[in-house]
Amino acid sequence: MKEIKVEFTLNGEKIALQSEPNRTLLDVLRQDLGLTGAKDACGGEGECGACTVIINGRPVNSCLVFIGQVEGQQVTTIEGITPQEGYHPIQKAFVEAGAVQCGYCTPGAVLATKALLDHHPRPSDQQIRAGLSGNLCRCTGYNKMLDAVHLVVKGEQND
Amino acid sequence: MQEFDYLRPRNVAELKENLSQPGARILAGGTDIIPQLRRGKSAPKILVDTSGIRSLRFIEDQGDRVVIGAMTTHQEIAESQLVSDLNPALRIAAESVGSTQTRCRGTLGGNIANASPAADTLPPLLVYEASVLIQNLSGEREVPLESLVIGPGQTALEEGEFIHSISFRPLTGRWGSHFIKVGKRKGMAISVVNAAATVVLDKKGSVSKARVALGAVGPVVIRCRETESSLCGKVPDRKVFEKAGEQAREEVRPITDIRSTEEYRLHAAGVIVARVLEAAAEQARGRMG
Amino acid sequence: MTENYQSIGKGVIRKDAWEKAVGKALYTADLPVENLSYGVILRSPHHHARILEIDTSAAVRVPGVQAVITAEDIPGEKVFGPLIQDQPSLAWEVVRHLGEPVVLVIARSLKAAEQARESVKIRYQELEPVFDPLEAVQADAPQLHPDGNVVSEIHVGDGDPEIGFQEADVIVEKTFSLPRISPGYMEPEASLAVWEDDGTVTVWVSSQHPFTDQAAISAALNMPVDRVRVKGAVIGGAFGGKEDSSLAILAALGAWKIQGTVRLVNSRRESFLAHPKRHPAHIHYKLGARKDGTITAVQAEAYMDTGAYASYGPAVAMILTETMTGSYRVPHVRVDTFVVYTNSPLSGAMRGFGSPQTHFAVESALDMLAEKVELDPIQIREKNILHPGDQIFTKVTINDSALALTKCLQKGRELVEEFRAVPTPEGKLSGVGIALAAQSMGLGANVPDDSSHKLEWAPDGSVLIYLGSPDLGQGLAAAAEQITAESLGIPFDQVRSLPLDTLVTPNGNVTCASRMTYLVGNALVDASQKLIQALLKGAGRLLDIPADQLNYQNGMVLKPDGSEIPAVEFISRLAEDSITLEAESTFSFPYPEETTPQHLPIGMPHVLYCFGAQVVRVEVDPDLGTVEVTHLAAIHDVGKVINRLGVEGQIEGGVATGLGYALSETMLRKGESWVDSFTEYLLPTALDLPENYQTIILEVPETSGPYGAKGVGEIPLVPTAPAVANALYDAIQVRICDLPITPEKVLGLNKVS
Repeated sequence: MKEIKVEFTLNGEKIALQSEPNRTLLDVLRQDLGLTGAKDACGGEGECGACTVIINGRPVNSCLVFIGQVEGQQVTTIEGITPQEGYHPIQKAFVEAGAVQCGYCTPGAVLATKALLDHHPRPSDQQIRAGLSGNLCRCTGYNKMLDAVHLVVKGEQND
Repeated sequence: MQEFDYLRPRNVAELKENLSQPGARILAGGTDIIPQLRRGKSAPKILVDTSGIRSLRFIEDQGDRVVIGAMTTHQEIAESQLVSDLNPALRIAAESVGSTQTRCRGTLGGNIANASPAADTLPPLLVYEASVLIQNLSGEREVPLESLVIGPGQTALEEGEFIHSISFRPLTGRWGSHFIKVGKRKGMAISVVNAAATVVLDKKGSVSKARVALGAVGPVVIRCRETESSLCGKVPDRKVFEKAGEQAREEVRPITDIRSTEEYRLHAAGVIVARVLEAAAEQARGRMG
Repeated sequence: MTENYQSIGKGVIRKDAWEKAVGKALYTADLPVENLSYGVILRSPHHHARILEIDTSAAVRVPGVQAVITAEDIPGEKVFGPLIQDQPSLAWEVVRHLGEPVVLVIARSLKAAEQARESVKIRYQELEPVFDPLEAVQADAPQLHPDGNVVSEIHVGDGDPEIGFQEADVIVEKTFSLPRISPGYMEPEASLAVWEDDGTVTVWVSSQHPFTDQAAISAALNMPVDRVRVKGAVIGGAFGGKEDSSLAILAALGAWKIQGTVRLVNSRRESFLAHPKRHPAHIHYKLGARKDGTITAVQAEAYMDTGAYASYGPAVAMILTETMTGSYRVPHVRVDTFVVYTNSPLSGAMRGFGSPQTHFAVESALDMLAEKVELDPIQIREKNILHPGDQIFTKVTINDSALALTKCLQKGRELVEEFRAVPTPEGKLSGVGIALAAQSMGLGANVPDDSSHKLEWAPDGSVLIYLGSPDLGQGLAAAAEQITAESLGIPFDQVRSLPLDTLVTPNGNVTCASRMTYLVGNALVDASQKLIQALLKGAGRLLDIPADQLNYQNGMVLKPDGSEIPAVEFISRLAEDSITLEAESTFSFPYPEETTPQHLPIGMPHVLYCFGAQVVRVEVDPDLGTVEVTHLAAIHDVGKVINRLGVEGQIEGGVATGLGYALSETMLRKGESWVDSFTEYLLPTALDLPENYQTIILEVPETSGPYGAKGVGEIPLVPTAPAVANALYDAIQVRICDLPITPEKVLGLNKVS
């Protein structure tokens, strides 16, 4: 197995790295780059959304992306949407709505929400549910996540 | 995770070269093959990543045919106005595959090549009698989708061949098409049984042509030809479609597995065939001739 | 007590939410460490087999491999278990379930570890497995352990069921079958162990009870408890499933062996196969009643599948047994419960702890009874529910908080009517169902049910909580901070919980059993008073005024002349003299003598109960058999709300888990294996929750609770499945007695021909 060179944009910065090709973007983020916001919950089967990142504006499971596949792509992780000071409005809304319990699914759900709202700034309830349906959560029953998305849409989270 | 050498062709010419190497296999979206590799269910020597080939990612109206590049994602299909206008069944099916995350990676070509009996995009393509453009180093061939998928996880693709694009002819006149699936939950649902149908009505409102395909009720997605022909000339009403549903049950061979039973699948197949036909006919009725 | 609270009852924002939302919270798998070695576990490929030979010779030669560890290498106890020490940390001689750990491999890289794992050669002789508890109790069944397959049995009763059934005009008799359920927490089990230069070991765990882990590690490594330090990382959910020490023991064992740092992280598949699940059970339930609906007798026999090792099975059996009459008065009762070993995946603690199984039987049977005596589901419940002062068959007298049951039912009646008014779409049939629930709090009589916590008033004025029981994600820390803030009359933001560390944190006992708000809260109310006394003592010394002439209010010390001095001034002055203001308190769950009869096994009975009701409306597609929950109202008494967002979150999450139990979750056999992934094990998604959902919180004070609060951790998932089953029956008159309710079962097409 030959190592490969990959160049892509991670959280707005160009990055080049060397890796064995049978590693996923999730492996590289967590093990090589120290970005542990993306989580593994389903064992790399794309069934839970905990490892969600945004690639070229779309939410994807980083456990289902081999590192070579991000060549030339724009990758955004939870670390990338968090401002230097303070929080992204979606992060704020999740916290204030009580949508964060154990928090393991939270980074993925926040990014899925971001991708949803980037495409549908005023989503229906059904669109919100569909947009979050790839992100399993055992703690919240999703209600407060829905509340959080509504908070973002209405711009009602506190400053 | 299985080990492999990785190639990333930039264009179709390179892809043909890469794929001609022994033991090479395509990595399209990766949503199916990555879990397979993780579980050791597949062991290619070389993975050829086609995600860098822009020319395989398109949805085009080429006049008499709609052509979809193999690397087009389910999400792109679900969002395509063209698909929505010309093959609504396919749009609904694409929208129902997996989650947003997997729809944004999974591709139409990958879905076909993976040849799951429960694949959601196959019934809507079969009822449009879609064909598949296959290429390799020495040329290309176009085959009906129906003959390409030959068993669970099996296609008639030869070594070195890849799916370039999928095309179908839009329906004309008073037509309708629809897709229904029964899953075990609403989100990230895998089909226990799914169905697509097209109905074309003549001027008098009778069925001039109907197509029905059922998934997850046999080793491959099945066109129900006897059901289709039994509908010809019929005035569409619920009774007729319910009868068609019963007829369709005769044409499928479901099995019992972890997701459902043979008995349920057989029953549900009939129910959704009736419903999918009715919905398609309803659409056709609403369309000006 | 004044209701004018500053913190209690507010929807405060939990402090840990921020770091979680930005992805900076460090779970065990995220902790950055140097010189990390990777542990992987070679697990049994068989359900039941004799180990003939383990050959590690090739594995140890794999470059990068540091240790290949088998049971032989364990210096101390080779088995562990919370109640019965029957579970090998690494199997020897026999493997008793698929996925059982046999060999632990430690290597410099994950790749080397995995490669070495593949190089270990084990020869097995397969033995016949048994998977069903009803088969396992047969004389000719394969035996898993020397003392037979029955781990424990409980036989209790009250009155004389024979008389009770003679008095009955109608009898309902059914067998209910409950599936194997995964806790389904998002964070798979993980543990990180560091061998320190001083010969101690520090172990990070994702665990409900780090102190149990500490004891188990100490026993396995044969080293004193004080040389084992266990620290709690951020926990990604637990729901009972993380009351298991297996990974903590193995990580520590690896670290000890290589004198280094080892991390073990289970894959989801490993989690499915080798970590405790909710017990599958068969419950044969017989209910007798008079024509007017008055229940006269209950007789039940339950067989629980605890898998290959006991785990918490015998304790789960107690609550399963005790809740067998649900929320109802029953004069004549007999319950026989058997906990049985099988070669299935392990069952143990999971949210509800036996009660969800029983409630499915009880609440389904109640509706069946209602139909027979021509009462509606509300009437039958009104006729039979418990009232304050009633004694249940365990001789426990239900206290005044049982008023909540009547209130839940009243509210339930309104909601049933509301849901019945919802129009039914063409082609669908709709139905409305209700179920009540009673869930015990606490570990049970005669079991040490203590919880210790410590407060420290730091010189900067902030109050630190050394929280002795981990927050599993449910928000225990925030509730503890609110109660402390309220008790000290200081702002919530001024109070902060610290992560658990057995070196410095008192033993708060295991986080479980719907008892944490109650226990921790009571301990912290008391600790706050002690802290105030310590403050006044210190202040008195500094002011040269007798402490008993000083008063304290809202962060201020009040002098006899009426002047006020901020407490922080004294605290910082005392700190300069190296005096730390701290106070520790232990609260013990009260088990009054009269409610702890000696005829019951230790751990029985439980004396305090939480109550709730859920009302469900379903729409059924009669042709496809699909069931959609369109409306759900969860009515729960919590005594007193501490954190509104937290309480709602517990209820909403519980309901979702209850819906999974009702409609989609089951860990079935799959070929030669088990369902072991989220592809087939179907947790509800955001699309699967009812579109019309409401949480209704009642507050009937529990006088012994902090500010009147009691627990709510488990009960929200208890009434859900029977309420759905009852609604389904209401819609199409099909009674499903085995969960989950599937379209196949609804249409009677589930039998494999």
